[in-house]
Amino acid sequence: MSNYILKYSRDDRVKYISHLDFVRLFHRTVRRTGMNFMFSQGFNPHPIMTVAQPLSVGVTSDCEYMKVGFDGDYTEQDIIDTINSSFPQGYRILAAKKVEGKEIDITRIDRAVYIVEVEYEGNADIDSLLKNSELKVMKKSKSGVKESDIRPYIYSLDKMSEDNDILTLKMCIAIGSVYNLKPQSVIDAMETYIENFKAGFMNIHRSSMTIGDKELL
Amino acid sequence: MITTRDKILSAVTKPTRYTGGELNAVMKDPSGVDMRFGFCFADTYEIAMSHLGLKILYHDLNDRPDTYCERVFAPWTDMEEEMKKHGMRLFALETGDEVTHFDMLGFTLQYELCYSNIVNMLNLAEIPVRARDRDETYPLICGGGPCAYNAEPVADIFDFFMLGEGEDIINEVVDEYIKWKKTGKKNKRDYLEKIAELEGIYVPSFYDVEYNKDNTIKSVTPNNPHAKPKIKKRIMADFNGAYTPETIIVPFGEIVHDRVMLEVMRGCLRGCRFCQAGYIYRPLRERKPDRLLVIAENLLSCSGYDEISLSSLSTSDFSGLKDLTDGLLKITEEKKIGLSLPSLRIDNFSLELMEKVQKVRKTGITFAPEAGTQRLRDVINKNINEEDIIKSTDMLFRGGWTNVKLYFMIGLPTETMEDVRGIADLSQKVLDVYFDIPKEERAKQINITVSTSSFVPKPFTAFQWAKQDTREMLIEKQNELKSAIKSKRIRYNWHDNKTSYLEGVFARGDRRLGEVIIRAVENGCKFDGWGEHFDFDMWMKTFDELGIDPDFYTARERSYDEVLAWEHIDIGVTKEFLMRENEKAKQAVTTPNCRQQCAGCGIRSFGTGVCYE
Repeated sequence: MSNYILKYSRDDRVKYISHLDFVRLFHRTVRRTGMNFMFSQGFNPHPIMTVAQPLSVGVTSDCEYMKVGFDGDYTEQDIIDTINSSFPQGYRILAAKKVEGKEIDITRIDRAVYIVEVEYEGNADIDSLLKNSELKVMKKSKSGVKESDIRPYIYSLDKMSEDNDILTLKMCIAIGSVYNLKPQSVIDAMETYIENFKAGFMNIHRSSMTIGDKELL
Repeated sequence: MITTRDKILSAVTKPTRYTGGELNAVMKDPSGVDMRFGFCFADTYEIAMSHLGLKILYHDLNDRPDTYCERVFAPWTDMEEEMKKHGMRLFALETGDEVTHFDMLGFTLQYELCYSNIVNMLNLAEIPVRARDRDETYPLICGGGPCAYNAEPVADIFDFFMLGEGEDIINEVVDEYIKWKKTGKKNKRDYLEKIAELEGIYVPSFYDVEYNKDNTIKSVTPNNPHAKPKIKKRIMADFNGAYTPETIIVPFGEIVHDRVMLEVMRGCLRGCRFCQAGYIYRPLRERKPDRLLVIAENLLSCSGYDEISLSSLSTSDFSGLKDLTDGLLKITEEKKIGLSLPSLRIDNFSLELMEKVQKVRKTGITFAPEAGTQRLRDVINKNINEEDIIKSTDMLFRGGWTNVKLYFMIGLPTETMEDVRGIADLSQKVLDVYFDIPKEERAKQINITVSTSSFVPKPFTAFQWAKQDTREMLIEKQNELKSAIKSKRIRYNWHDNKTSYLEGVFARGDRRLGEVIIRAVENGCKFDGWGEHFDFDMWMKTFDELGIDPDFYTARERSYDEVLAWEHIDIGVTKEFLMRENEKAKQAVTTPNCRQQCAGCGIRSFGTGVCYE
């Protein structure tokens, strides 16, 4: 058995697929390739796969990661080409890397960069927002909706453009098991702390996920 | 970029119902084809995508370079609201284009309770609902499927119906359409006259219906020289060789039948007298196991599905079952694929098969005795007797199964309270079988579920003349059964009889019901097959508004001389045969199945199938 880390993207065409549906979709993709994936034991054997930080419905990305096991040895290029030829349009394997142990541990991903386009009213004064020593917003967690200070988990927040009613932001924020922050919460903080700022519909794209500053592949 | 599409899709549940782009969905350039066809299913994505007919006809049409067939389904109510809010019309899944000016929209009529959704979909497309209000700029609206055999309640909505199996006829309809379009598409009538001459095409506007004073039908007469006095259904004579798609669409979200469906045969030889499918799909025709195995392997590998099921009526009668399942088991074991079996007659062979297929889990087994006493089972010609059931359940319980479901109908012709109590008796006997087996030879925790549905008399069955039980009567019978079931280990589920009542009205309805359906949708009715949307009181109010008594269609025993609303349709099985069967039913005399002895139903004239084995 050999393990591989796959980096993949999903675009607008398939962004409404839920995480569970993606897992099933990937199982079927694997079966179509005819490659020998490692199957789980049990009543309904399915290919063994771990997805890092499941993507929310509606979000696009070009930096998703998963770990899969093969029964047999394939070159990294083989894997990229074979899976891509079976993937539904909208998903694409960008890179693959064979791993021996835990030298690349996708469960340790702790930050993500998002590009957020948002309809807005008012003055998006980011600089003064970031001067606040704390930014308390209501945030969903396992134990319910709770107030949380998200300021320490915003590593950067920049305005990319501002035309008409649409603001484009780039933000680097915490993700993962230690602290998980969603772009929506940053927008919530802007609405709370910037006077007269109101946000509407938004489009979210995840452009990078790293462990500290380190790229995985 | 922020788009309206994203705003809509973000606001609805299960957005992948509306995005298209699934694996194996057909993408074409619409400007490169002569014909844009919308295959419409008036229910949700999950139900529509589980329909085998769609899978066949979608690819059948798309294999033609001159035609683009797209899927068009009923948006769920949240989506409908969003569409209205943003001024969006009914659209096709593949291109997302509005269907308002497609060349043709074909609805499959799978059950009567979808009629309100058809009207609602046309409204959402901003297409005039009545055929007479549509000129050549609108798509032709056609229908097919089991309810098309008596589509009179929706006759004013549709331009034409295709009767019987669609694989060939749909291509002929498209051929003629393209010819007509190329000559300028001048008059819709010219096209309809042309196709009215094809076997299996019914153009309702070419027939006048006259009524008697008592509201029964006096006559149905062609008013156009191109219309045939009787329209005969179409079938695939060579079913083994008939078209099967090379590929299937794989949905993103979970659908009802989320697996490869292998159609092993069409038609049924049993002749259960209540069963419309058993008559309209005659004669029984089979596919050869070697061909089925090729189809199965191909569909599994192009889809990546991990499950396959066999599809047909009464699969135990499929003569190639052993060869097929032997072959399938080889494929499924090697590829780690699940084989799900349809309900089979319980014998040594099927038990062994179930053991092989369900290595660990012993899921429930379903029996459909349909009636509680032998007399009533003979009336309906359900050739299963108590001894069979007792023997089979004994085998099952000894084999470790403990979940048994028993399906019955109540409200069958000639039924008495004794027959109803017979359901409780039979269930108790099944339970006794379990307790008679020594403890060490049976599994723990017996579970028996008894379900009853309400019998709805259907056109083209031996019971097409029968009176349907009133709702009050059905409730009385349900209560009788409830109190007759003594053991706590037997659970009783019953089907709501309001939907059965409405189904009964439309099943044997006539053209006067069309206005009721259109008005009911104006009054807010839709998704009648969905408990949370079904508004029985609104339907009753609508009947009342239009002065139509729904009981007229259900509560009357029809005489043999009455002109039935579907009299001008010919399914190959003769009226004389159905009359004979109805008389035998009254005497509780059974009819052997087609392989035992030909009963002379008339379908032999189609020159194929079990009649010539």
